[in-house]
This record gives sequence, structure tokens and C-alpha cells, in this order.
Amino acid sequence: MTYYETQLRKIRQNIYSNQWQLDTVIATRNYIDNNYAKDLNLDLLSHTRFVSKYHLLRLFKRYYGQTPKKYLMNKRIEKSKEHLKSGMTVTQTCFAIGFESLGSFSVLFKNRTGLTPTEFRNEQLSRSNLNSDSGTCEP
Amino acid sequence: MKVTVISIPVRDQEKALKFYTEKLGFIKKLDMPLEGGNRWLTLVSQEAQEGPEILLEPAPNHFEPSKVYQDALLAAGIPYTQFDVDNVQSEYDRLTKLGVEFSMKPTEMGTAKVAVFNDTCGNNIQIVEIL
Repeated sequence: MTYYETQLRKIRQNIYSNQWQLDTVIATRNYIDNNYAKDLNLDLLSHTRFVSKYHLLRLFKRYYGQTPKKYLMNKRIEKSKEHLKSGMTVTQTCFAIGFESLGSFSVLFKNRTGLTPTEFRNEQLSRSNLNSDSGTCEP
Repeated sequence: MKVTVISIPVRDQEKALKFYTEKLGFIKKLDMPLEGGNRWLTLVSQEAQEGPEILLEPAPNHFEPSKVYQDALLAAGIPYTQFDVDNVQSEYDRLTKLGVEFSMKPTEMGTAKVAVFNDTCGNNIQIVEIL
């Protein structure tokens, strides 16, 4: 066994020994992954795991390094990029990923990517046109 | 400031290019000749071609401390860097079939699953899946 693996096992024993906590945060992340487009309800999840909502938030932050809310927003932005690349309109995308207002979606998107959803979409579409054009221009 | 390039030191750029494209599945992005047969050689991942580039840089051949550091990491099994995959087990199976050698089999580490392989150019590389 390498030095690295030995160290990893030691760390695992020290900080990842609480399987119940691990199961709880992993279930929470899966829940967000599968329901990111819905109005998420962490109360429900905390009840099913017999843990208070605030304890769940703290656990999630501890094991994933970010709050469930931030994780959810990152997930939604990632998904919105896929939708916009595939040609979906900005409005359709906004509702498909669970945002209720176009304004808050645009602000968050610009914040994270440096571009508005419309700018991002236009850039992606012109890029894919360029790629398909260059195919036909090859000598 | 933006992150666009992450460098990985390699002993042989051509061999590294082959390994990283043919086995790992990266795509060559830039390839510019520099002096002394060295190249500015970068790769991108297939699924994020506009994303950050990996620079395969021949530092260990030209700067002794880089070689010493790389050798020490390799011997200790410590990954030089890591790449995200959707499924560590299936990537492990795929790469093993291609003859890639792993120093650490898929191992759960809290909220992640990791494995470590040898890139044949002087480095351990870790693949990681977030659980």
C-alpha cells in the first residue's frame, strides 16, 4: 500500500467514520440532483432522516463544503447551460430549471458566468454554426 | 483573472500526448513548437472543450527540482492532480482493460470515491466521483 493510501485511510477513519451522517448528506445531495427543478423542500427530507433542518444544513456544509442552497444554485446554472446550448430559449430554460422569475435567473447566471443567458446562448449557437460551417469549407 | 491552464509535468511530451488522448480521452487543443524540441502542448476534455486546458510541460527534463519533486510524489503514491469522472468503478474497469496501472483501486472516502493510476510520464493521477 502506498504512503498516500495509508494516509487516506487514516483520514477516513478520523473524519468519515460516522456512516449515518454520510448517508444523510449523500441522500440529501441525491435528492437535490433529482429535484433541482422543483420547489425544494428540505423540511421534508430532514423529517425523513429524523434530523432538524438546521442540523442537516450544517452537516451538508461540512461534508460538501457548501450549503445545500449554493449547491442547488450551481446545479441549476450547470443545467441551464446545457439547455441554452441545445437551443432552448432563455424563458423556457428559466422555468425548466426551477426559477420563478426571469430576473433572478438572469442576475444569478451573469454573476456566475460573466454573461447574461441571452449572450451565452447567442455565443454558443454562433459557435456551433461556425463549427458546422467550417466543416463545409474544408478544402 | 481566469483559470485557463493547469500544468502537469511530463518526462516525454509525445508519449504523454498519446497516453492522455488515446487512453484518457482528452483532445489536443494547442501544439506550438518552442526551442529545443519542446512544445506548448495543451489538451481539453472532450465534454468541456471550452474549459480549462491541461499543459503537458517538460519541466522535469530541464529543471532538476521539478524532477526531484515529481519523483518523490510518484514514489509516495501521491497524485499530482485529479480529474472528475461520473463513475470511478467503470472508469477503473475501462482503463485497466487498456493496460493502465492503478496504485489504488476504487476506494470510498466519505462523500467521494477515488482511485489512483500511473500516467506513465512520471505522475500519479487521481480520478474522483462525488457521491
